[in-house]
Amino acid sequence: MENQATMSEFDSILASRGVSRRSFMKLCAGIAAAAGLSPLAVPRVASALEESVIGATSGDLYPVIWIEGASCTGCTESFAQVETPDVASVVLDLISLNYSETLSAAAGHSVEEAKAQTIKAGNYILIYEGAVLEAFDGNALRVAGEVGTTALVEAAESANAVVAVGSCAVNGGWMAAAPNPAQALGVQQYLEKVGVATPVVNVPGCPVNPEWVMSVLVDVVVMKDMDLLLNRLNDFNMPGDLFNQTIHDNCERRGHFENGEFVYEFGSEEEALGYCLYPVGCKGPQTRAMCGVTLWNNRRSWCVQAGAPCVGCCESNPHNPGDNWVEVNTPFYKRMRDLRIGPLNLQPTTIAVTVTGLVAAALVVHGFGMKASGRMDGGAPFEKIRKWDSKHPQQEIGTYADPVTGGPVLDEELVHKNADPRNND
Amino acid sequence: MTRSVIDPITRIEGHLRVEMEVENGKVADAWVSGGCFRGMELVVQNRTPEDAAQIVERICGVCPVSHAHASSIAGDKAYGITISNNARIIRNLLEGAQFLHSHILWLYNLAALDYVNPLNALQANVDDAYGLALEKGLALHSDLNQLYDKLGAFAQNGQLSIFSGNWFEADGGKAYVDAPEANLILTSHYLEALKMQARASEMAALLGGKMPHVMTSIPGGNMWVPTESKLDDLLAMAIEVRDWVNDTVLPDTLVLAELYPEAMTFGKGCGRYIAWGVFEGNGWPYGDDYIEQMKNRYLPMGVLDEKFGVTDVQEDLIQEYMGHSWYQGDDTYTSPYFTTDPAFTDYNVDDRYTWVKCPTYDGKPMEAGSMSRIFAAYVRGVPFIKQNVDAVLGLLGAKPGDLSAFQSTLGRTAIRQIETMYVADLMVEWVTELAEAIKGGDSEYFRAPERTTGEGSGFWEAPRGALYHSEKVVDGKIEGYQIIIPSTWNLAPINAKGEHGPLEQALIGVPVEDIEMPINALRTVHSFDPCTACAVHVTDRATGKHFETVTSPWGVK
Amino acid sequence: MAHLAHYREAHPLVFVITHWINLVAMVMLILTGFLIHFPFLPFLMGIARGCHLFFGFVLFFNCIARVIMAFFVKTSPTGGTRQQVTDYKTWLPQKDNRHQALEWIKYYLFLKKDHPLGAKLGVPQKISYLLIPVLIIVMFWTGLCLWGVTMNVPVFAATTNLVGGLMSMRIIHYFMMYVFIIFMFIHIYLANVEGFEPTKLMFIHKEHGGLVYDPDLHNIVGEDHDVH
Repeated sequence: MENQATMSEFDSILASRGVSRRSFMKLCAGIAAAAGLSPLAVPRVASALEESVIGATSGDLYPVIWIEGASCTGCTESFAQVETPDVASVVLDLISLNYSETLSAAAGHSVEEAKAQTIKAGNYILIYEGAVLEAFDGNALRVAGEVGTTALVEAAESANAVVAVGSCAVNGGWMAAAPNPAQALGVQQYLEKVGVATPVVNVPGCPVNPEWVMSVLVDVVVMKDMDLLLNRLNDFNMPGDLFNQTIHDNCERRGHFENGEFVYEFGSEEEALGYCLYPVGCKGPQTRAMCGVTLWNNRRSWCVQAGAPCVGCCESNPHNPGDNWVEVNTPFYKRMRDLRIGPLNLQPTTIAVTVTGLVAAALVVHGFGMKASGRMDGGAPFEKIRKWDSKHPQQEIGTYADPVTGGPVLDEELVHKNADPRNND
Repeated sequence: MTRSVIDPITRIEGHLRVEMEVENGKVADAWVSGGCFRGMELVVQNRTPEDAAQIVERICGVCPVSHAHASSIAGDKAYGITISNNARIIRNLLEGAQFLHSHILWLYNLAALDYVNPLNALQANVDDAYGLALEKGLALHSDLNQLYDKLGAFAQNGQLSIFSGNWFEADGGKAYVDAPEANLILTSHYLEALKMQARASEMAALLGGKMPHVMTSIPGGNMWVPTESKLDDLLAMAIEVRDWVNDTVLPDTLVLAELYPEAMTFGKGCGRYIAWGVFEGNGWPYGDDYIEQMKNRYLPMGVLDEKFGVTDVQEDLIQEYMGHSWYQGDDTYTSPYFTTDPAFTDYNVDDRYTWVKCPTYDGKPMEAGSMSRIFAAYVRGVPFIKQNVDAVLGLLGAKPGDLSAFQSTLGRTAIRQIETMYVADLMVEWVTELAEAIKGGDSEYFRAPERTTGEGSGFWEAPRGALYHSEKVVDGKIEGYQIIIPSTWNLAPINAKGEHGPLEQALIGVPVEDIEMPINALRTVHSFDPCTACAVHVTDRATGKHFETVTSPWGVK
Repeated sequence: MAHLAHYREAHPLVFVITHWINLVAMVMLILTGFLIHFPFLPFLMGIARGCHLFFGFVLFFNCIARVIMAFFVKTSPTGGTRQQVTDYKTWLPQKDNRHQALEWIKYYLFLKKDHPLGAKLGVPQKISYLLIPVLIIVMFWTGLCLWGVTMNVPVFAATTNLVGGLMSMRIIHYFMMYVFIIFMFIHIYLANVEGFEPTKLMFIHKEHGGLVYDPDLHNIVGEDHDVH
């Protein structure tokens, strides 16, 4: 390497890419001219680019690293559907998305370098999509020649905040459903486990609703106040304004629920009338999210509007991968009646109705017994002496007519006293 | 000899690594590695086919609809259901919306940045750009002056956002042709495409609640019930997308072909193709004749050999080999099968190097994807495809009928536009068809299962190629589930006979100037539109007891 | 006429009222609960939920009031007497009942011929009654975990979290209702199977004569014929 002292590190990077400094300056001149900058600004842009492959390390755009863990890219895809503003405006006017496996122009070393430099420059947000996988010592997820968890920890440590987008990032999502073969868990739990203290903001959903991601970014990017964001969070580190109410609370079909107008079969006339989907398994009443308010895809529709019962994809306890939405909510199209305790899958209704029936039957049988034994009219005669007393004559509880055979202590005065305490004293 | 590695491959779905042996500026050997294991088939065990359709679509955020449909078809077959005609049309519409979304996103927002340099557009003369657009017949939907200013403001700020990484300097600055006016116009289409793919998704959302991960398709049909106002919305969006597609995609592709003729010279691949067919035909229903059903699809099924000879698919010729992937054993399994276990060893290209299994058809690697579908449709004589393929061949300077002219990186990239236009036209047609059916009094969308025990395989297509789901259902619960994904075919590692997978074969011979930034390799990878998240998955041994995790309301132990 | 006399002092008016409230609230809660769980009379859904909430609070506050009053109101420690002690003492172990738990059970199972001597509340009876406030509080708590207005109060959210989500919570809440139902079956049966006098006393405060019991001697001392 002809790494001379006079050559800046950036020059050597350029050189290793086969770019002369002159051609680079020409590119910069092009950029500056296009932007209507005076020629004097060219060296400033050039020096900004010299600092790093990410260009200026700070500016009007908020730096963001978007890492895909064990994901289906659905959350990135979903984010790409954002319409307020559209995603092009987001990545050109609001955030500097320096690393995204789906959108970055660069690949391989170059994009890894962009990530490393963003981390070094600091003051960025990490958005993490997909589950954290621990199976095979983390090798269930390999990126850039290393295990996925390493990339997460590196990027999370210096971030201002980690936004876990999608239910997979919050607690493993469907991957954590039994038997959880990849040993998936959520970002918050993993970071707590390895001792990374960066605050985590959980935004569940399968996929995440892009409007919810934007609503998180607004605090940081537009209002520029991280505390605003952190103060919005509920116990699950989710923005309370988005995840404190159930789907049911804001459902457009709620009126039909109150009227008792239900869909009992898919694709039926009731479906077309927009009746309530509760009998076909809707998980809206127990799922906390604002789908019915935010809507999806340019506010075009949402699951329930399209006729599909909510499958509760936002159900996601960040501290418990076992409480993932698939495990909790299947079967999706039946009203939920089961209770899972460990490997047991109980059916409380069946158990309860059976026990209640047995008790009722037992009481009827008992009643015949009572009748047969003549206890119906005032019960059996009282015992003459307590059994214990007859066996322990020295420590008797009751006072009896006869200490051995027992019997009531017949005493008119005591009867009078007990039956009319006004004469007592 | 030097090694060149691209890891991560960006602008795809999932985690993919490509390692190449470079000799004399060309790739001499290549290994493709899928980086993520999630275990989908294990998760759907013992759940209902309806639940499975919802869960398995989460395997992929780019082509969820295809997975939901392949799973639903498998469920239909297992349950003995023939879906109603209306449900067939709605599934086609839903699938078509996703195809449009995926193809638009892929061409402009994933693949195009291999050819288009938006930063170079800053040096454009806007007047000349308008001139160029008129000359080449390029679509002009955006105000180029406004775009030019927007890019200028972006550059002035200095933060490079998604353009970080200095990638446009690849191959010594020669990787990207210095054509600022073309770059400006294509950048405008890049930005429009972001809106158009969202619009296509919006159609899917109208029909399926949301996109990705639509909610309405299940075994038995569809939950979505059309109303006049929804049909009207759907038609308006279908027309909007169709018009944009027809104006834009083909001329743009021809400009790329003009700017990058060398990309027509490498990246052939294995030269054998599979397509299971997609979009059920309008001669519905086809009774129990599955082959007839697949042959009558709008894009029909076909297995093509090296000479484009077509045969019908035979399920038992589909096999998967484990010897180079991180699964136990070196066995080859014949579909449908439900028995493999993950076992990570180490990344070693001489032994095991990927989470992707190695599927073969009749013992050979096969390429799946849009090119496979178009070839199959061409050979089967679908009129729109025949006409347009010949037209494009003419524009590329090849003889009509010479399908081999497409067997390259850019050819694979270009041919997909024919499919995009075909589907865009069909969408409008299907909305009308649905409206007619409703007018005729047909109001059936969902049929209940005939039985609860059975087996079924769903042969279908994702935007990126042949998709296969198979399930065994006993008393309404899934006992075994198998998935073979298009990218599993394309990203397959070395097979039992030592042959490379299709992408590996395509990479061999690709010129690489800069081993740090092997742009031509990336172009080739993108031409396949790979999707690795779903390519990696696992089936379970019959016992299914290998994993110790216990879930409970009280926590995972 | 083998039973003890039923005097009003056993159940002062205020407890007759709380008992009435308990009955009405529990019946309404169960009915409306079923309507919510199985909307078979769907037009009542909104009303059912409103009633359910209302009676949930009624039952809870009635329970609290009853518990507090136990420390101020005087009641008879045993049947068959007008003597009174502070009510809470009748809920603690009483000498009248000592060593009688097994005897009660044997009596109910027809393994013992004679009626055991005991306090106002027999041993199994007392234990099951004491569980009722616990059950009410648990029901109230799980109910609040499910109610939109309170579900996000940290303590309720944490409880929901503990049991694995709203779904499990809903099922638990529903399941617990059957415990009430079973209790009510047994309670009603045992209270009436030996005659309706206890029920008449409890609901309409009607006294009935019978054997007189002396809480100090822990034994029957004769019979009261003055009350019919």
